[in-house]
Amino acid sequence: MILLGPDLTTAGFNEEINLNKSKALYVEYEVLLPGESDVHVEKNIFLGSAVKIELSCRLADKHSHMKILQVTWKKGNETIKHINKTEISWGIQLTVSENRKLGSYTCTVTGEKEFSVVFHLQVPQIAGREKPVVSYKGDSAILICESRSYTPIAWTWYMTNGSEQIAINDSLMLDKYVIDKADANVTHLKILKLTEEDGGTYWCEAAFELGKSKGKLKLKILSLMVPLKPFLAIVAEVVILITLIFVFELYSKKKEKRAEDEKEFDQIEQLKSEESNGVESNSARHRKV
Amino acid sequence: MPPHSDAGPVAGPPDGGWGWVVVFGAFISIGFAYAFPKGIAIFYKEIQDFFGTSYSEIAWVSSIMLATTYGAGPISSILVNRYGSRPVVILGGLLCGIGMVSAAFCTSIVQLYICVGFITGLGLALNLQPSVIIIGRYFLKRRPIANGLAMAGSPVMLCTLAPLNQFLFDNYGWRGSFLILGAILLHCCVAGALFRPISADKVSVKTQSIEEGKEVLKEEVTKDAIEMNSPTNIHMETKTEEEEERDCCEKVNKYLDFSLFKHRGFLIYLIGNVLMFLGFFAPIVFLAPYAKHIGIDEYSAAFLLSILAIVDMVARPTTGIIANSKWVRPRIQYFFSFSIAFNGTCHLLCPLASGYTGLVIYSVFFGLAFGMVCAMLFETLMDLVGASRFTSAVGLVTIAECCTILLGPPIGGTLIDTFGDYKYMFIKCGAVMVLAGTFLFIMNYYNYRMLAKEEKKRKAKEEDTKPQMAQMKFKPVLLSGQGITSTLLMLALAVKSHQIF
Repeated sequence: MILLGPDLTTAGFNEEINLNKSKALYVEYEVLLPGESDVHVEKNIFLGSAVKIELSCRLADKHSHMKILQVTWKKGNETIKHINKTEISWGIQLTVSENRKLGSYTCTVTGEKEFSVVFHLQVPQIAGREKPVVSYKGDSAILICESRSYTPIAWTWYMTNGSEQIAINDSLMLDKYVIDKADANVTHLKILKLTEEDGGTYWCEAAFELGKSKGKLKLKILSLMVPLKPFLAIVAEVVILITLIFVFELYSKKKEKRAEDEKEFDQIEQLKSEESNGVESNSARHRKV
Repeated sequence: MPPHSDAGPVAGPPDGGWGWVVVFGAFISIGFAYAFPKGIAIFYKEIQDFFGTSYSEIAWVSSIMLATTYGAGPISSILVNRYGSRPVVILGGLLCGIGMVSAAFCTSIVQLYICVGFITGLGLALNLQPSVIIIGRYFLKRRPIANGLAMAGSPVMLCTLAPLNQFLFDNYGWRGSFLILGAILLHCCVAGALFRPISADKVSVKTQSIEEGKEVLKEEVTKDAIEMNSPTNIHMETKTEEEEERDCCEKVNKYLDFSLFKHRGFLIYLIGNVLMFLGFFAPIVFLAPYAKHIGIDEYSAAFLLSILAIVDMVARPTTGIIANSKWVRPRIQYFFSFSIAFNGTCHLLCPLASGYTGLVIYSVFFGLAFGMVCAMLFETLMDLVGASRFTSAVGLVTIAECCTILLGPPIGGTLIDTFGDYKYMFIKCGAVMVLAGTFLFIMNYYNYRMLAKEEKKRKAKEEDTKPQMAQMKFKPVLLSGQGITSTLLMLALAVKSHQIF
């Protein structure tokens, strides 16, 4: 099965990455070399457990005519001698079984132009949380770390005290810390009866076959007064608004009543004058008759 | 409220002035009622982790809130019938505030169900119905515009609440956010304070007696004259006996008008809407998951919903203006049925949309259709039932819709899980809505014809009784035998007595 990733275009070059998983525990990574010589290509590869890996760099078709002077594979400063060479690709095979074998492997192709690719072989990264978890004094907080794609062997939690990192042992302080280990891919650290000192940076460390990886989490402890201030401010604003609305209503009602009383007074005056006119005309008519 | 000199009808609602302030209040109130349950979904992940529950247990909070908001409709109607809109909305705002503040101190998921789901949901129900009702009291000629503007509160509030909730959550955690949201919900009380009570009779009598002609005044005067004359007193006594018999039914109907179930228009609306709501909300719930399913990233998927909300925001007042035009207003029921069918067609065509561009086009049309339907949702009911019976009608309709609203998304979810494909859910929603639209179209055609026939009959009857009324007018004037002077004095008395009310 060959999976072709999406076409990535950055600064005008195309990179095509072929991932071939023909057998379990054997992976191949191949990077297609680009057209710009001063752009350095980097690729991160995460290894959850020991694997046999083949890394190769291949020239794109449009450069296949280019004369190749030299191809070198290096790990750090050390040159790797066994290179599997085909017409247009150069690869190396590695058995990554221990932490020492992880690192950065560079493939440099020198011809008319020089291209280089760096493969970073590393343990899977644990994503912490950038935004702090906010909790309150006396309440409890839960910090969660997970590693879905790669299953770690074990999890350890650390708390930062000053500049030191202290491991959290939940069996020692049962009423303060509870670590949930139900699922191997996820770890929960529940901290009870929070106080201000519990705030700060926490680390969850996942142990993999090839090494350890840490995720960072921040815990912020607030007192109840903190949200209470905006709460009271908003309540005060609401009360003021309602009072203003009712006062305005009473005022406009009074104005209305006064205006109507005046109108009514005028109307009655008008009617009275009409009436007197009418009576006069009647009597006039009577007299006439 | 002083009568508006340029407002249309002589006998009827103001159609302007303070009415627009009421629309603003309704905008806020309705906005909270519809947007709040969706807005607090941001907190769910954190609460889920905190209490260690599954996602479906958290989703119950929203469902309970929605169910209570719609199910408590009749309670709202009864209270409005008894006390008017203003006290009910203020009470609703207080309940919402209390609910959220107590939710901030909850220690279990069940307590959250009660505080957030039940109490806040009840408060929102007491906000939603009275806001819609009071628009019907303040507007007649410009009612569709007023309704469209007020209903636009929902998308605007949603767009405001989403980033606000995120900000509150980042700074105060979920408990602090609930506390502050409780205070924010108290603004519903402010909206309620703006709902100045208005009695339709009071306005009409005032305008008649002060501004209009003397024929109407004569009617008032003749009424008083009849009452003053002793021969007619016996006639009044027999009348009261008959009234007592009907009192019992009328008493119940005064609180919640069950006689609406004999009203043809109401039944048509009820059946059509209950059917429509089966497919109304599910596509919104599943739009983002569907986008992610076909390979679109999370932010673009969320952006689709933003597009929907923005188009919705514009579509609602625009629909109100269109519905108010002289071509559409008399046939507003057809316009409503058309927009439901249009909505259904959008869903049916959605599976054909490929890629992100296709989904964006779908979101635009969906937002348009959704806004059109929502803007006219209550306007059409008011149009069918009339402003006075609308209070009870809205309560009965919402409790009936409650069931299908709650069933819609879970049925859609089951379809997706069974077939593993979203297209069947869209087809189901589309089909249900097209069916509902067609049903409403046909039945309203029938209803319009029947109404025209009844109107003809009534006019014929009026023609017959007119000469009798003319005789009645002059008789009491001759009977009293006191001349123009006393008539005019009685006129002044009538004006003054009605003002006391």
